[in-house]
Amino acid sequence: MEFKDYYQVLGVARDATAEDIKKAYRKLARKYHPDVSKEPDANARMKEVNEAYAALSDPEKRAAYDQVGRGYQPGQDFRPPPDWDAGFEFSGGGGGFSPEDAADFSDFFSQVFGRMGGGAGPRSGRAANFQARGQDHHAKVMLDVEDAFHGATRQLSLRVPKQDEQGRVRLETRTLEVKVPRGVREGQMIRLAGQGGAGFGGAPAGDLLLEVHFNTHDRYRVEGRDLHVTLPLAPWEAALGAVIPVHTPGGKLEVRIPAGAQAGRQMRVRGKGIPGATPGDLYLDLTIVAPPAESARAKELYETMAREMAFDPRAKGN
Amino acid sequence: MADHETVMGIALEEACLTLEQLAAACRVNPAHVTQWVSEGLFPAAGGEAREWRFTTVQLRRARRMSQLERDFDAVPELAALVADLLEEMDQLRSQMRRREPR
Repeated sequence: MEFKDYYQVLGVARDATAEDIKKAYRKLARKYHPDVSKEPDANARMKEVNEAYAALSDPEKRAAYDQVGRGYQPGQDFRPPPDWDAGFEFSGGGGGFSPEDAADFSDFFSQVFGRMGGGAGPRSGRAANFQARGQDHHAKVMLDVEDAFHGATRQLSLRVPKQDEQGRVRLETRTLEVKVPRGVREGQMIRLAGQGGAGFGGAPAGDLLLEVHFNTHDRYRVEGRDLHVTLPLAPWEAALGAVIPVHTPGGKLEVRIPAGAQAGRQMRVRGKGIPGATPGDLYLDLTIVAPPAESARAKELYETMAREMAFDPRAKGN
Repeated sequence: MADHETVMGIALEEACLTLEQLAAACRVNPAHVTQWVSEGLFPAAGGEAREWRFTTVQLRRARRMSQLERDFDAVPELAALVADLLEEMDQLRSQMRRREPR
């Protein structure tokens, strides 16, 4: 495992004050803000910056990191000495990190701080009859549009804090095979009951709440329960009307295009969107593609049309 | 140590998160969210706080606001203003995607 120089990530000196560290973090948080940054690797950099700040902004973690990292260079193979944290007493208070953060942080962070406070729940010394339901954990799941029609199985790797017999909290990787029901929509939550943080004193575990997002697709677009498909037509199909086969994730449909269809128009096919108790609709966004006039015959046909149709696409009303 | 299990997901209603769940998801106190709502900085359906149910779109706003408050010591009004701008940007970006030729 590579040693990470958190001071270098934030661009501060090893003896930087807490105020300097905060200032450096803010500068970088603005630079790599995932909503606005134009940097190509903004997400990855923001994760690094968050991780470095989580380590250096908490005095306990910073002290531990300084001790364990003494003499290491960035990228150097890192092995924490056994029981290096024996001399520290971690409060596990505000400096703790959430399971969502932990999932983003590196193995290095997990190795150094995974055994420190940060796991949810009461420490020893609390009343023995303390009961609390476990925390809900949140994660995102990326699906393909097709999965909304057929359901899907996805494998998720979660890094979750677990308490061992000595009361130490370690980050563990759990792999879950999740069955996602058909009919899910963008932004919908899927609950995996009892898969969140462990409960205390006999109380139930929290839930894992997955937020559904769809990968972009070159033909399909979902809006709520509705499915949008761009349907290219030949000029004669649009002008004369036609029955056109349309492929959707739900299967092939035959759609009647009325004569005189124009590009930019939208046609709705009821109930053929994302399935469910109230299924969504299918929207066909019509475009017209002009065939190239490459052959002599094609040119001749276009010339005939130009001569005989007296059509001006720029005239008012067209 | 990794263990392996299969679990069945249950799709929830669009507005499904309670005030406590929303607050926990962005690591703020529920009273802080109530304050946002009472100052008009955060949308919530009328009625009592225990009846409120939030969507993932609202969760996204709550995360943005709490992150801005935490990272930049932003006052809630400023966090809400930035969240408004980011939401408008989300809308414009999705409109742009719709117009891109496929």
